[in-house]
Amino acid sequence: MNVTQFQLDALREIGNIGSGHAATALSTLLQRRIEMSVPEVWAIPFEQVSAIVGQLDTTQAVVYVKVEGDAPGKAVFLFPVASAQIVVQALFGTDEARDLYTDEMAQSALKEVGNILVSSFLIALSQFSGIPLQPSVPALAIDMIGASLDAIFLEDGTLEDTVLFIDTQLSGIPEIEGQFIFLPDDGSLKKLLGAIGV
Amino acid sequence: MNGVISVGMADYKTARSPDILLTAGLGSCIGICVHDPILKVGGMAHIMLPTANGSIGGNPAKYADTALELLLKEIAALGAIKSRLRAKIAGGAQMFSFPGKPPVLKIGDRNAEAVEHELKKNGIPILAADVGGSFGRTIHFDVGTGELRIRTIHHGEKVV
Repeated sequence: MNVTQFQLDALREIGNIGSGHAATALSTLLQRRIEMSVPEVWAIPFEQVSAIVGQLDTTQAVVYVKVEGDAPGKAVFLFPVASAQIVVQALFGTDEARDLYTDEMAQSALKEVGNILVSSFLIALSQFSGIPLQPSVPALAIDMIGASLDAIFLEDGTLEDTVLFIDTQLSGIPEIEGQFIFLPDDGSLKKLLGAIGV
Repeated sequence: MNGVISVGMADYKTARSPDILLTAGLGSCIGICVHDPILKVGGMAHIMLPTANGSIGGNPAKYADTALELLLKEIAALGAIKSRLRAKIAGGAQMFSFPGKPPVLKIGDRNAEAVEHELKKNGIPILAADVGGSFGRTIHFDVGTGELRIRTIHHGEKVV
């Protein structure tokens, strides 16, 4: 669908409210200060996603949550492996490095962080729009970012020429970086925009 | 010095030996590599979905069927003989799994099937297929030797 500048602004505001809640949740969970960028709204062909996430074969931890309810979509939280390591250590209250590829406890902790972030984002979005939304169980991949994202975007076997997503950078002190991406399905966008009257 | 030519998502490129074709971060997508071992020319396509299904508009290099057609046309333009062409493919992973919800039609598997089908239809033998699994792949294809180097983050590196 074509999106007007006014609608893009509305989506940025949706992203701002949702991501603000998510950042607060992360901050509470990790007991650290978390800063958040002003969300950016992108409407681009998926092929150009490296403009947003950088080199497609850098390793990142990706937590993927499906958004279910009246306006379905996808939510993705991604962070560099070093940040994922810090997050896990903060949660376990230890300085000991864990093998994120094999340690199931560490993996569930990462999934849980993604779950909390996405849930807080969705609660804010539901309250704001009046549309009920629920998160699925989270799934995790620690792999090439391009590989993880193509699997998420192409999962349903279709791909619009232009995909729209809301992208927020999160950073914590010290040394945590993350990126939160919300991707409404094509039909959901109309519903979300309709619900807030734009 | 060998040149390394990068192939983006939903993109295809051709090359002459000694150049190498590269595509990074294949998940459920597939890298189709085709070369003529005598003339030492070839190409690579990074496809995302099985079939264009007659859809008009959009980028034809996204789909297995339309991308292969374009790639073969361009390889032929370099002088390659179709009956000599050989193919190697990699990708088609399923990166995420949700407990209790097996996807009915995994897109990675569907992509692999479509690519195999299209190559067969064109009479091009597949010498190696590194498809499936749950991990990403970055691939380098030497159009002269036909060597395909497959790098993963946590599942080693191999040459097929």
